[in-house]
Order: sequence, then structure tokens, then C-alpha cells
Amino acid sequence: MTNRFALGLVLAPLVVLGACSQEAETSDDTLVIYSSRHYDSDYALYEAFTEATGVEVEVVEADGDLLIERVKADGDSNPPDVIITVDSGRLWKADQEGLFASTSSDILNQRVPASMRHPDGHWYGISSRARVLVYAKDRVQASDLTGYESLADPKFGGRVCARSSGNIYNISLLSALIARWGEERAQDWASKVAGNFARDPQGGDSDQIRAVAAGECDVALVNSYYYARMALGTDDDVSNVAVYWPEADPGVHVNISGAGVAANARNPELAKQFIEFAVSDEAQKLFPELTSEYPIVASVTYDNAVLEELGTFKADPLDGTTIGSRQEEAQRLFDRAGWP
Amino acid sequence: MATAIDSIGNRAGAAAGAILRRLDPAVIGTILAAFFALPIIALIVLAMSGDSEYLDHIASTRLTEFSTKSAQLAIMSGALAATIGVGCAWLVTRYEFAGRRALSWLLILPLAMPGYVAAYSWYAITAPGSKFEAASGWDLPTVSGISGAAFIFALTLYPYVYLLSRNAMEAHGRLSWDIARSLGAGSWRAFRQITLPMIWPAAAAGTALVIMEVLADYGVADFLGVSTLTVGIVRAWSSFSDPAAAAQLAVLLLFGALLALGAERTARGRRQFASTGASDTQLSPRSQLTGWRSALVASLAMLPIALGLLIPAGNLAWLAINTRPSGSVLPALQGTLLLAIGSAVLAVLLGLTAAYVLRSGNRLARASVRLLQAGYAVPGAVAAIAILSALAIGQSVLNALSGAQAAILTGGSIVALLLAYQSRFAAVAILPSEAALVKVRPELDEAARSLGASPMRVVTKIHLPLVLTGLATAGLLVAIEVMKELPATMILRPFSLDTLAVTAHNYASDERLAQAALPALILIAICVPATALLNLVRPNA
Repeated sequence: MTNRFALGLVLAPLVVLGACSQEAETSDDTLVIYSSRHYDSDYALYEAFTEATGVEVEVVEADGDLLIERVKADGDSNPPDVIITVDSGRLWKADQEGLFASTSSDILNQRVPASMRHPDGHWYGISSRARVLVYAKDRVQASDLTGYESLADPKFGGRVCARSSGNIYNISLLSALIARWGEERAQDWASKVAGNFARDPQGGDSDQIRAVAAGECDVALVNSYYYARMALGTDDDVSNVAVYWPEADPGVHVNISGAGVAANARNPELAKQFIEFAVSDEAQKLFPELTSEYPIVASVTYDNAVLEELGTFKADPLDGTTIGSRQEEAQRLFDRAGWP
Repeated sequence: MATAIDSIGNRAGAAAGAILRRLDPAVIGTILAAFFALPIIALIVLAMSGDSEYLDHIASTRLTEFSTKSAQLAIMSGALAATIGVGCAWLVTRYEFAGRRALSWLLILPLAMPGYVAAYSWYAITAPGSKFEAASGWDLPTVSGISGAAFIFALTLYPYVYLLSRNAMEAHGRLSWDIARSLGAGSWRAFRQITLPMIWPAAAAGTALVIMEVLADYGVADFLGVSTLTVGIVRAWSSFSDPAAAAQLAVLLLFGALLALGAERTARGRRQFASTGASDTQLSPRSQLTGWRSALVASLAMLPIALGLLIPAGNLAWLAINTRPSGSVLPALQGTLLLAIGSAVLAVLLGLTAAYVLRSGNRLARASVRLLQAGYAVPGAVAAIAILSALAIGQSVLNALSGAQAAILTGGSIVALLLAYQSRFAAVAILPSEAALVKVRPELDEAARSLGASPMRVVTKIHLPLVLTGLATAGLLVAIEVMKELPATMILRPFSLDTLAVTAHNYASDERLAQAALPALILIAICVPATALLNLVRPNA
């Protein structure tokens, strides 16, 4: 290779860089949404909102925790109008950091159940998922299962799969269980579940379902929507896997995705309008139909064969703030219990 | 009028030229290194600002496990990557076999495969009940846990070792080896006593890069279920909302990285192999292999390419074909290229000047460069938080000075992102430049200086031509790293900017590997020509 070639290789990028270094400007009548969700249902929601109102939507997507740090750091200079994130733990954390503004809306208060929104209107649930047990039909009887506590049952020794304890769905579940049972029993449960593991926690929720289907474990702790997605799709055979609703009092733990008006929103009115739109019948059916999540407005009718087959369930009415505020305690319990 | 402006321009140009000529490159390097080391300093400040509550908790529960797993994983991955890298470099420089020329550059390509993508893909292939196992009837060991993670890291990162070792072997020629052989040394003894010491600095530098990247990884370790220190760091932040605690653990990792760098320095020792003259680089013919031997060596050299790139990428391609793409990936492609190219330019500047600091700077300057290099082992997410806090400090200083909101430093700008990349990937930029500069004998500088050449002239007329290949390597390596980088990009990018890695990750983190496949494949597809260019940038080619 000639030196001139290497020099060209070093210098050429400067030209390209100069040619494409411009940033888009956001105009005043654009709605800026920061979201840690990236689902087809949400893209359809943004599109439907633009169609209904003529307002353009700019979306920034990032993982939940990164999103919070980012909004915090940006301060006043580059604010979102709406913040959407998954899980009550993250909603609580974002709220603790002062990222949400208080909003009052009769529409929202009417349509979103009280346990699925912030008491002062800092955020409102827009969709939910249930944390359920799945089991192998040929190796486990539904009557062997009584609730989340079954995972700690000695008869399931070496037969349980779950993902790692750093995962926010597990943390939120344990937070709810601490509220339900108290710290001591919750930690005892976590250690016994960890003792029942068929393998070290690995992969995501779908991988736990696959492991049950493949016979590596018999019971697994997963979110409903992963099961529904796999059952609807053609890539995986989950015909041998069934869902058990851990409805034992006070009910099935539910993960909320929520939206709130950002504290430094440039267009708070538009932001409120967007959240109201997100809980309308038209928008709510997008979540079950495109993402297999449950709508936050129970009365909405939708078309999803798997969710229909799963039927209704009794949800734990525990409020998001209680779940969120116990995140740290829950991770401590997991660490002490030896759940990796 | 026009001539007046011209003459002012000329004079200004001449003045700037004069200043430039008088500048010592080592001074520029020190300034640059100090600037890019700012986030690391911010990290240390952040670490000291917190209390020890999380540290106490973690020390009494899982710190031992975290540290042991990190150390085990780093050693296993480093050893495996070094074996593959040096072994393959040896095969392609020493022997002539079927497909050698093609394999010689194909062996670099697995660097195009992001570790987390390889992990998702391999897990999908080998997990119990996978389609592949169902179709083939084989029961493959699942790629998970610490050995699975070491497998992924070794096969996606060995090209660092391979590339630097191969170039070193070619630069040093085979003559010395042949002389050793002709003097009666066995093949193995000649390799061990002649070749190995000669390529030792290069192989050690490559292995140090691998180890630092393994220490900083979160995605692979978390997905495959290895509780490393980085997993603990991310949890300190995600579960305990305690960035200061995350910073404290990250400082621990920094020490680990400094250890790796120190080991690399020690390994290199005082053995400096400046080229002894033109005769040394003359190549004697490679040993010709024929028949089954040729086929065996060719398939041996093919193995890492298949495991590191072809199989996981093939699985993705198969998934992508059967999936309807959601949305255009064109904006993400543009964003990726913009960031990669910008970073490559900066990396070349930084690499060159920092290499000077290491060659001729004072102790303090050298220390700042070493600190900067250790930044490679800081997890991307932590580096991003550190940069946000560094920027916040800078912003408040600026605000105080200007008395207003000077919105130039806030997060979410391309500048912040480029700064983050340089402080993260400085090691990748500096090591190849340094390795190239080491080969330029100091006597050359002295001779030129004694003839009255300015320091800058020595650089442009003597060093630059000699180290261009090292610089181009640095630029390309950083470009590839940046294209694959995830956490810092996610947190710092301007919201109008999408990248392929971010798009792929968004889908993969939702456990939608099929949708993630297309952006991941495009990412691999643009990293491949970049890695292929690395092959053109080689001595004696």
C-alpha cells in the first residue's frame, strides 16, 4: 500500500463529515416524546395521533434507566413533552427525579383505574402486562400450583426457570411481594426459588418459555405478553406450555407502562392531549392487537386470539408508587437470597 | 481588496504555520489526552461524592462473586483470544496452503460482529429446544454462563491479537526464523525463541485490548448469565439509582484495566525490536503445504471465521428473510456512518499525538495517556454518566461566566458523543499508533534535529510516512468500535440521530431477535469493508 493511499484514507472522512453534519431543528408545534418502548403498537399510536390532530411527533427511544438519566441531564435545554416508560419501578424513579409535571384531566381520571395512575397525575398507565407462571402441561398439573409461592415449593426442586434478579420485572414482582408478605417471608421465598432453579438464570423471558417447552425446566416465571407473542407467532412451538394465573390473594402482579407530561414540556397542553388520546378506545386496542399487552381501559374490545383464550384474571390492585418505592429493598433481598 | 485579504490570510497562515512548526507534538498529545481524560476524572470525582452504603451491601453479599467472575472471564477470554489470534497469524505468515491469501484477510472479519449480537444468535442456536437442535437432532452444549461468554468474546475479539501479531510477523520478516532453523533449531523452538519474543509486544497489546473490552462488557455477560463486576455496576445504577456507587465500582474496574496495561508493559519489557535494517524484512518463501496438510491448515484457519462470524450471521440472515422489516433502517445507517467517520478522524489525531507522549513525554504526560487508555475498561453506560456529569460541571461554569444558559455543552449532542467515544476507545487508537512509532528509531529524530529540522518537520517528513499504517489501523479500529458501541450512544445521542446498533438492540432487548436481525446484519455488512480495509493497511503489502 502506498503512503498516499493511507493518507487519503485518513483524510477522506473529513470531507464526508463536513457534508453530513447538520442537526434537525424541532419546530414549536411538534410533540417530543421520550419513550423506552419500541413496539409496533406505539408506532401505530403516534401515527394515529398525527392523523387525528395534525401534530407531528418526534420520538426518542432509549432503555428505561438511560432515558431517565438523559432527561435529568438535559435540564431545560432540550426537553421532552411526554415521557413514556415501562414498569412502575421506572415510573416511580422518574417521578422521584422530578421529571413529571402534575396534570389533571377528567378523561384520564375517568378512564385509568386509580391503582394504575399517580395520585397527583404525574403519570398515567397506558398498557399492562401480567407476571405469570408458565408450566409444561405434561409434567405439571395446574392443581400443583397455588400462586407465586409454588415456585418455592420443595416439589419443584431443580425444575424452576427465571431470568436474573437485575431484571426490572423480577424486582417489581418482589417489591409487590414484600408489600404482600413482609420482608422476611419475601426473602425466604426468593432464597427457596433460587434453590429450586434448574439452571443459572440466563436469557430473557422468551428463553424461559422455550426452556419449559424443551423440557429443561417445568415451571417458569414470565410476563404474559411474551407467551402471547410466541403463541401467536409461528417461530416457536409452545403448544405444550400453559399459563397459570397466580391469582392467590390479592391477585396477579401487573407491570404498567405509563406516560406523563414532562416537567419542562414546551407543549404541556399537546402532551396532555396525547396521553388522553393514548387511553381512547381507538388507541387502547392497539396494545393488545399489535403487542399482546393488556389495555389499561378494561372495557375496550379487541381482537387477539391468544389473549381471548387466556381469559380474564384478578389483578393485584397494589399501586405503582408502593411497588416503585421498594425497588432498592427488593434488589437487596435478591442479593442476599443468592438469586443471581 | 482581494489581494489585501489574501495577504492577511497568507500572513495568518504563515504565523499559524510558524506556531505549528515550533509546537512539540508531545505537547499537543498531552493536551488532547488530558481533555479526553476529563470524563475519567469526572468518574473519579463522582465516585468520591457518594456514600458507601451500596458498597457495604455489595461487599457483604456479592462483591467476591462479581470480582472473581470478572477476573475469570477476562483471563479465559484473553487466553483463548491470544491462542486463536497468534496461532492463526502464525499459520498465514509461515505456511503456504490452499486459500491462504483469502484467509489471511478473512480472519479479521469476525471483528465486525458485535459481541451481544453473537451472544443472542449463538444462544438462539444452542439453547435447549432451539429450532436448530430440533431439526438436526444434535444436542449442542448451550452457549451460556462463563464458558459461553468466553467463547463469544474470544471469537469476536481475537482479530485484535491476530491483526497486530500478523503485522508484526510480517514486519519482522521470516529471515530470523529461517536463520534459527538453519542453525538447527526445531520449528517449535524457533517459534518460541525467535518469533514469539518478536511479536510479543503486538500480541500483548492485542490481548490487553481484548481483556479491557471483556471487563467493560455488560450485554453479553448479562444475557448469558455471568455475574461480573460490570453487571454489579449497572445494577448499582438501575436498581439502586446510585450513579455514585456505580462510579465507585467502575473505579475498581479502572484499576483492573491499569493492571492489564501494566502487565502488557511488563510483558513488552525492555525488549524493543526496532527494525535492524532492510534485510530483516526480506521475506523468504513460506513453507509449502500440500494435500491433506494444506486442507487441514486451511480448515483450522477457517474455524474462527465460521464460529465468530458466518454461523451467527447466517442464523440472523435466516431470521431476517422470514421476517417483515418494521421501518426503514436508512436513517440509522446514516447516523452510524457519521459517528464512525467523525470518531476515526479524531482517533487518528489522538493516537498519533498520544503515541508521541508515550515515546518522548514526561512522566505526568505519560500517566495521563495511560489513564486515558484504561478508560477502555469503563463500561459504556458508566462512561456516559461520567460525561454527563463532566458536561454538567462545564455547563455550570459556562453559565456562570456568560450569565445565561449557554446550551452548548448539554448532553445529547454529537460533540458529547464524540468525546465519549474518544475517552472510551482511546486505547484502541493509541496502541496501534504507539506500536508503529516504537519501530521508528530515536536516532532518526536526533539526526534530523541535528540537521536543523523543527519537531513538527520531523513528524511530517520522517515519522508520518513511517507510521501511517499504524494510524490508519487506529482510525479503522475506532470506527468499527464506534459502529458497534451501544450504551454511550443510547444515552448521549441527539434524538434526531439513530444508529444501527441502537435499532438492533431495541428489538433484541424486547426479545425480538428476528426484527433485530436486519439492522444487525447491515451493521455487520458495513463493518466488514472497514475490517477488510485493515488488510490493506499493512506493512510490505
